Amino acid sequence: MYPPLRLDPAALMGEIAAFQRKLAAGMDNLKHQLEPEYANTPRELVYREDKLAVWRMKGQGKPTAKTPTLIVYALVNTVWMTDLQEDRSMVRNLLEQGEDIYLLDWGYPDAVDRWLTLDDYINGYLDRCVDAVRKHAGVAAINTLGICQGGTFSLCYAATHPEKVKNVITMVTPVDFQTPDNMLSSWSQQMDVDLFVDTMGNIPAELLNWVYLTLKPVRLNQQKYVGLVDILDNPKELQNFLRMERWIFDSPDQAGEAFREFIKEFYQQNKLIKGDLIIGGKPVDLGMITQPVLNIFAEQDHLVPPDASRALGRHVGSTDYTQLAFKGGHIGIYVSGRAQREVPPAIHQWLSTRD
Amino acid sequence: MGEQATDFLKDYQAMAQQSWDAWTRYLQQQTVSATPFGAGAASPFGPASAGDDLMARSMAALKGYSDWLQGAVSSGLGQGPGDWQQSLQGLFASLGGQPFAHAFASIDSEAAKSFAHLWQQWTQANPASVPGMKFDVEHLAAFGYTRERQRLQQALAAAMQDYSEWAGKYQSLIQRANTEGFERLQVKLAELTDSARQIESLKGLYDLWVDAAEEAYGQIALSEEFRHAYGEMVNAQGRVRQLQQQQLDALCRDMGLPSRSEVTALGKRMHELRREVRGQRAASDHDDVAALRAEVAALKRQLAGKTEPAASTEKKSSPRSGKRAADDAAPVDARRPKASAVAARKNVTRGVKRK
Repeated sequence: MYPPLRLDPAALMGEIAAFQRKLAAGMDNLKHQLEPEYANTPRELVYREDKLAVWRMKGQGKPTAKTPTLIVYALVNTVWMTDLQEDRSMVRNLLEQGEDIYLLDWGYPDAVDRWLTLDDYINGYLDRCVDAVRKHAGVAAINTLGICQGGTFSLCYAATHPEKVKNVITMVTPVDFQTPDNMLSSWSQQMDVDLFVDTMGNIPAELLNWVYLTLKPVRLNQQKYVGLVDILDNPKELQNFLRMERWIFDSPDQAGEAFREFIKEFYQQNKLIKGDLIIGGKPVDLGMITQPVLNIFAEQDHLVPPDASRALGRHVGSTDYTQLAFKGGHIGIYVSGRAQREVPPAIHQWLSTRD
Repeated sequence: MGEQATDFLKDYQAMAQQSWDAWTRYLQQQTVSATPFGAGAASPFGPASAGDDLMARSMAALKGYSDWLQGAVSSGLGQGPGDWQQSLQGLFASLGGQPFAHAFASIDSEAAKSFAHLWQQWTQANPASVPGMKFDVEHLAAFGYTRERQRLQQALAAAMQDYSEWAGKYQSLIQRANTEGFERLQVKLAELTDSARQIESLKGLYDLWVDAAEEAYGQIALSEEFRHAYGEMVNAQGRVRQLQQQQLDALCRDMGLPSRSEVTALGKRMHELRREVRGQRAASDHDDVAALRAEVAALKRQLAGKTEPAASTEKKSSPRSGKRAADDAAPVDARRPKASAVAARKNVTRGVKRK
């Protein structure tokens, strides 16, 4: 039988003193840090419209894959999570495997974009981006790699434009928006989203970031920064930390109408799995997705619970459905060392047998 | 010996506080000197203290942890073989019963700043609305020339009151998460008495406390009660914003300025027009392409020695004709020569089209 705490007063003094010393000494390092750069893998502009851009990413050698893959990111945050830093870049990793990678960067909506709808995003922007990639690569159909909300968009797209999509890959993608452990969904159920959008217009990124932080308020608002003190004297680790902070908080606002529709149709009414979703007059039925599907989710995802993603297997029409569970979180699936070793090779292997 | 230890603690706490204050001042000096306008110069971004305020917010997490460390030492944790549970309760009480209060409630970025703060700004900027707060909103009927404005002010005061009530309920749930987090911590610690996994550092205790707090918060945040309070708080905020915007719109009309609702309506009409033009253009392109395909097909037949008259090519074929369907199914590269021919033909007949 032991007491749970064995705290020696002198050791506690030493611990506090060490914390203060590290903090004071580290402030100078913090002061001299430059704005951290992303990996900036070489790229070529393929298509631009309004605020969005489609980039073809360039690796060291020519792609061996015949079919290009378009990465469709969420409207929240930016696609550069997939190309965060040189040694933590899903894009570079996929290029090294021989894949032909295109990125859709949605850009930063402003007041002019307030009335963009899901129809504009999916049947408009996304469709024209897919056309641009098809034309650039000279193929009839491409692969989509949709991430988070971008995965939901790409599923809607594949269901309504099947002739243009050869293989569907989704990562941390919500499909069932009302699993019991989905905190964002729970909070949105009683929101009057019409009033919210009517009074806010576009939804500010800072507001959404605040909501995400309150999913795990102590861990994300305090514990993370207490941990920062330990790396203040390590320039490389500090740069990595600051780069991630840049990505987390440098986020686009959300076009008001698209946000209204997404909350109503997906979170509040869960129409994607109920089969009564209509976007731009087109019924969206996951059963219409007969292409091969690779569904990757994170087992410790606090934003998109694993069950929200797993639901795809029950609703998709494809007979070639593969599911991959990653041991990590919503962000770690792109940037952790384990992710670099496991995820891009798994994607490449899956694609190579369906190219 | 005991007295010596107590004196040492007091001295240490004083030193730690001085250390914290010193580097906070240091940061503030850096912030001020970093401004291009120099210390004391008028800044277009607000008073000189604005930068300090932002910096203080950024550092709130570390300040909170530092307070926690000092509170832990003050509570007598680790001093002798006393009752650790009593010491923990002393620590909890010394932190006002809310060790993570700032993590839950002090996220105060520009977009997500405390709504109460926004309300203060509103009343300061719009003194005319303040008397509305004094009305007995339930019983005083509005009348006379200012009837409409009076009613609006009464509605605003009532909405703000409603918001305050729901925000209070939300805060009480957060407080409960703090309390239950502490209870969970005690349970977790009690479990450690059965093993040799004793906690030997304040950081170790802090991390365990964070785990407990997040577990308690997670359970409450997924509850029906939280969902209801959260939704109502957001909706009440929306009603306040809506009424404030109505007052601002009236003010803008009085001053001959375009109001928010007018600008929003303009944006909506412009977007609808853009969609309509795009739709018409797409339909027109579709018809042109169908006609050109038919013409090319007829020419091919002619070249092949068939006798079918060319005049029939002027008839626009159905978009889903057998020929078109076959083209759609073929890979783009296989269709390329025909597509080039069509594009060339279009340039000749219609001039250069938009991309």
